[in-house]
Amino acid sequence: MKRYTCSGCSLLCDDIMIRSDGLFIDEVIGACLKGKERFDQVTTENRITSPMIRIDNELKKISWEEAMEIVVKIIKDSSNPLLYGFSNSCCGAQSKGIELAQKIDGFIDSNASICQGKVLGMANEYGINLTTITEIINKTDLIILWGANPAETIPRLLNKTLFSRGKFRMTGREIKTLVIIDPVKSASFNVMGVRDIALQIEPGKDIELIQALKDECCQADSIPTEGVAGVDAEDLKRILLHIMGTENGVIFLGQGILKSDKENHLIREILEFIQIINSKQEKGRMGLVMMGGHYNMAGFDHMALSLTGQIGGLQFKDHCLLKGNDSIVKKINSDDFDCSIIVGTDPISHLPYSLSSKLAKKSIILIDNQMTATAELADLILPTAITGIECEGLAFRLDQVPIHLEKIINPPSNVPSDETLLNQIITKLNEKGDR
Amino acid sequence: MELILNTVRRIDYDQTKEFAFGDTQSLEDHLAIAFLNPKNFKELKLTKDTHIKLANDEGSIILKAIEDENIPDGTILLPVSIWANQLTKVQETEIFYKNIIVNVKAINEPITKYEDIINKIKGD
Repeated sequence: MKRYTCSGCSLLCDDIMIRSDGLFIDEVIGACLKGKERFDQVTTENRITSPMIRIDNELKKISWEEAMEIVVKIIKDSSNPLLYGFSNSCCGAQSKGIELAQKIDGFIDSNASICQGKVLGMANEYGINLTTITEIINKTDLIILWGANPAETIPRLLNKTLFSRGKFRMTGREIKTLVIIDPVKSASFNVMGVRDIALQIEPGKDIELIQALKDECCQADSIPTEGVAGVDAEDLKRILLHIMGTENGVIFLGQGILKSDKENHLIREILEFIQIINSKQEKGRMGLVMMGGHYNMAGFDHMALSLTGQIGGLQFKDHCLLKGNDSIVKKINSDDFDCSIIVGTDPISHLPYSLSSKLAKKSIILIDNQMTATAELADLILPTAITGIECEGLAFRLDQVPIHLEKIINPPSNVPSDETLLNQIITKLNEKGDR
Repeated sequence: MELILNTVRRIDYDQTKEFAFGDTQSLEDHLAIAFLNPKNFKELKLTKDTHIKLANDEGSIILKAIEDENIPDGTILLPVSIWANQLTKVQETEIFYKNIIVNVKAINEPITKYEDIINKIKGD
């Protein structure tokens, strides 16, 4: 048996024991349900193993040579292509995606732009240090889950951070306080102990809560006696005592925060709150971790920053990067594209109808390894290997730490990796001459 | 009645898992569902055989309703899915997956089929 890193989610657990002969995975030990599913995807019936084209509303298998000719034709006929996804691809593929976007004067963006990416950009503005999982394991005595339900989204996160015994402490769970702030009593509430605090706030009232906490930080006894956002005043004071007394605390920001109304305002309020805590704290500090879902959601912005000096959506014109930050939402909503190249994601399912219906009206080239709603509408599907199982690559963990993913077995039908395929498309375009 | 719609990720109602290992039927069984507080469930006069119709400016869908005492009064929870995204909103450059006002009523009609949603997105 050999130890591998799991690419089932953004935690990238590096302690999964796998027995394999290089052809099949015989046994997986230590993976959570999501990780196990990731390894099971290798042999699922819904796996795509050969290129397919849509003719008369039916998907038909074609050869790789034919598929590459069609890709080149769609790209050459396009003057405003859109590239989207890449959070389920390694950094090498993300880098090739940016190179392709530059070559074909396209717009490229990742899933992060409608998820945690914006928090990273804002955190940089505020100068808040992001913390790492290792630091949380070793030092943290206060964990706050804000709009986050790791028990169901990143199942081993609490195992590693809450129940672990750190290198610099002789104690573990017994000195760690868990605070959960969520309108719904989620599965994560089940791990709470007697000293932990659950705040089941009224839906959409996070702003009121954070402002009350900020006010109390600056001026004592400013919390209204009747409480705020459905939370008892005494509970709020108790939380502040923990926050101001922590030696090393962390706030995990979940999708509940990232996808709420007036979210930018809310995220800024939370960042300001952390800034206030860290300026008033004398013995400790508060850190921040964003809970991305896809295994390499954090990677795209790192690649974009290193290659172009900019994060978020990248628009190229005359093979040069245009300044400014368009988003995938704005591009699709304003119909500012004429074909799309989707890599490892399912926007037809994930985006609201007003966007998915616009995306479906233009040609879609899908690079993915399994059937999805996007595959049901794609004009051309190019299958690829599963990174971290059938090909190697680099990915950034949710705490922005780069982790190498190894290859375990060969992919079916020798399908290429995302990185190799994107490189082949670039090479093919070079052979056919510039657009 | 008006309820606040929130979309959530739940490990037992996971779209990625259903696409990877399931079929159209399992997609509908695990994702064309909504979780409601027992009080709201009663107020809507729902039974095990009736479904609920959720509607707003974006569209409408019919789902199976499930009672869940962990859901706050006045809130309806949908797993992140193609069904939920028939009601989620876009304003300028932002997508709103949470805190969306929807009109909810009991209905004696079958749930919205996956194929019907795909056809609607296609424009058929």
